[in-house]
Amino acid sequence: MVAVNRSLVYRNDLKLTYSLQQSAAKVVLSVRQLQIETTINRQDVLVHEVSLELREGEMLALIGESGSGKSLTASAIAGLLPNTLKVSGEIVFNDYDLMKLKERQWKQLRGKHIGWVFQDYQSSFTPYLTIGSQLIEIVRTHEPLSRREAKQVVLSWLNRVDVPAEHAYSSYPFQLSGGQRQRIALAAALMLKPSLLIADEPTTALDVLNSKKIMDLIIELQAETGCAVLFITHDLRQVWGRANELAVMRRGRVVESGITSRVRERPDDPYTRELFAACPRLIPPGELEEVMSFATERCLFSE
Amino acid sequence: MRRNKKEPAWINRNHLFNYPMLIVGSAIAIFFLILTLMGSWLAPNDSLLIQMQDRLLPPSYTYPLGTDHLGRCILSRLLEGAHTTLGLSLAVIAVVTVIGVPIGLLSGYIGGRVDAVLMRLADGSGALPEFLIAVAVAGILGPGLINVMLAVACVKWIGYARVVRGIVTSERQKEYIMASVVAGSSIGNVIGRHLLRQIASPLGILIAGDIGRTILLISALSYLGLGAQPPAPEWGAMLSDGRPYFQAASQLMIYPGLCILMVVLACNLISDGMRELLDVRGQSTINFRNGRKGET
Amino acid sequence: MLWHFASRLIQLVVVLLLLSIVTFILMKLAPGDPVLAILQASDGALSQRDQETIREELGLNTPIYVQYGSWLRNVLNLDLGKSLTNNREVWTILMERLPATVYLFLGAIAVLFIFSVPLGWLAAKYKGRLPDTFSRLFAILGASIPSFWLGLLLVYVFSYQLNWLPTMGSGTIMHLILPSVTLGFVIAPEYIRLLRAGLIETLSQDYILAAKSRGITNRSILFRHAMPAALMPIVSLLGISMGALMAGSVVTESLFGWPGLGSTAIEAIRLRDYPVIQGYVMLSGFFFLATNWLSDIGLVILDPRIRLQKVGRI
Repeated sequence: MVAVNRSLVYRNDLKLTYSLQQSAAKVVLSVRQLQIETTINRQDVLVHEVSLELREGEMLALIGESGSGKSLTASAIAGLLPNTLKVSGEIVFNDYDLMKLKERQWKQLRGKHIGWVFQDYQSSFTPYLTIGSQLIEIVRTHEPLSRREAKQVVLSWLNRVDVPAEHAYSSYPFQLSGGQRQRIALAAALMLKPSLLIADEPTTALDVLNSKKIMDLIIELQAETGCAVLFITHDLRQVWGRANELAVMRRGRVVESGITSRVRERPDDPYTRELFAACPRLIPPGELEEVMSFATERCLFSE
Repeated sequence: MRRNKKEPAWINRNHLFNYPMLIVGSAIAIFFLILTLMGSWLAPNDSLLIQMQDRLLPPSYTYPLGTDHLGRCILSRLLEGAHTTLGLSLAVIAVVTVIGVPIGLLSGYIGGRVDAVLMRLADGSGALPEFLIAVAVAGILGPGLINVMLAVACVKWIGYARVVRGIVTSERQKEYIMASVVAGSSIGNVIGRHLLRQIASPLGILIAGDIGRTILLISALSYLGLGAQPPAPEWGAMLSDGRPYFQAASQLMIYPGLCILMVVLACNLISDGMRELLDVRGQSTINFRNGRKGET
Repeated sequence: MLWHFASRLIQLVVVLLLLSIVTFILMKLAPGDPVLAILQASDGALSQRDQETIREELGLNTPIYVQYGSWLRNVLNLDLGKSLTNNREVWTILMERLPATVYLFLGAIAVLFIFSVPLGWLAAKYKGRLPDTFSRLFAILGASIPSFWLGLLLVYVFSYQLNWLPTMGSGTIMHLILPSVTLGFVIAPEYIRLLRAGLIETLSQDYILAAKSRGITNRSILFRHAMPAALMPIVSLLGISMGALMAGSVVTESLFGWPGLGSTAIEAIRLRDYPVIQGYVMLSGFFFLATNWLSDIGLVILDPRIRLQKVGRI
């Protein structure tokens, strides 16, 4: 259904050149009719017929409120759903049918070809192993490198994501700040130059400045490595200038999808409109004074 | 109680039959309790009567489980021995509970200096394993079940007081207790109506497990010759008496050990079953945490 | 951190002093006159005056706290007196028997891990399924079986029926197998339970999911990322199990005629050899407390979060 909608959207879109240009790039990930349901209670379908397509060098933002099924979709793509959930549909990643993959093949795929950044920086690393040893383990699990070579890779990447490399290398996760940890997690995800990065609300737990830093880093590194990014968020503002395409999810369904600018200008679905309207804007200086005076006049507790 | 979301509707967590451990454990326990209470009446022979012409007989009509190396009826001795082992263990735990629980309640509720003294005491006694104390007492005051059990009781009540105190101190700070105090309930009311209920389940788990552990302790000490003295029929002592004759008559080894195993197993099943029941009750919070993955 | 160790060390010393006072008082309460005991041991008939002399020599007519003081001084000099049965130094006897007990403990701990690590892991991996139920039943059974009966059964099967292993005695590694299994099996249940709970808890942590998402191998996730956290409660349990090990060793050693501290204690109790009993209680108490202290330190070394002083917040 949604896939058909999308092609219709393209045909109707005035920026036809853009879509032609897009389709020229290689499709990295294509999800068709993905359905996730609980096996124990049949009535519970968590994700309905979700279809997505993601091309090389492109960023697709998956947007929705909590509980809309966006993280589940992402987990399904990386094969990280608990086996109590039943997944059906089709997920094709770089010509591999992920639904038919064996656990051993998954192991080779995750980390090397699909990178993942989690929402919670607190638990993105095992607490009692040093950052260095964990990063080296990732490199050496996937690449036939010596310890020393792996260390070189790790250190250069730590530098790249702007953390004090030597210090971070020998630290335990809890000794670093949240922003640092999240940037290291980004390094861990991108070190092996995956063709897909899944970022599951990577900035939610961070403060504004650190969020911006992470976002900029993702964009920079995406440009450098040419990977596709599946960016999951509930915060529209983060993806405005950055994502090529949007997909809005609600209650386990994709209700709207398309090129960012088109969706922004002419949202089809009422829910999308609602979502945009709910997005707080910056208040212009004049209005701000109005608000303040209102507050001081009416507020019981103001002096 | 909240039902686990992923379970089909027909599983009713309130139903006792979903806890097979509790059921089986209780069944065994009741069986042995009846045997103990009716032991002297059920026993086919005199448990102390030595008949050398009947030594090491296999099971027969007169001796349903055979005879030991002195021609005594094994079944009668087992039934008689249940009194010693089960009775003593129950008595020790009863005494310990009666002493430990009120002290723990008061110490936790009043806090302050009483509490500090109790906790120091608990640290000191908890620092030594109870078996070591039993060995020291038996070694120095001489073997005998009473000596040893007194020593165990002296140490154990502190453990009970500590458990009760722990629950009371953590529970005392919760809103519902505060609310009840603010609403003007007396100390007795708060303890009786609210705290005892909170304590009942963990205490039950502890008591059930401890009865089993005490039985093991009694029979082990008797096996070593530090507890029950011959010719008293105690299960552990029976094993140690019969040891030289195992090859000739395996009934000497099988039955007393099996009795101990079954009784202790019943205690542990009940204890674990209660723990399970309690875990399910406390699951609403756990579910909430695990629900994280299903979120988004 | 240092302060933590120091305060625990002080606690250790205090409890040891308490232990010494208790054993000293118990000795004083012991039925029978030590002088008469000595006379019996030397089996001669001595006159009233000789008895007085001995009493004076032993310092038995000084106040009790003076007696305790001089006794404690002797204990600290490792002078625990002489055995009443064979007149040898108690310290020498205990040190002679110590190695056998240490071997038994090591064997039991090995058996313990052989049982509990796979069973705990299986139970955690297949939580709520057949292996979990099996390991749970195994744990309950292990907690319920009297160790001396298990030992007897093992002897019956492996020595009498199959004739594979010796029934009693010591010397070879074959002699060590049955006692180790007997002792280790009885302690295993608590560990299975703890490891299961620990692994379930750890494997559900997000950092495990993070490691999975990076393609880390299952083996490394289990042993490098999950096991250490699950083992931490076990390290503290090892300290506490020292008590269970000692209790079990008394039973196991006398069951298998293993020449360790436990069987020495039982012999001494049978012969009313008070100095040896006292020595045993003091030494066991010391080991128990010392291992607890060590496991405390071990925990700190294992967990960098405690070691580097930033507790709370994972």
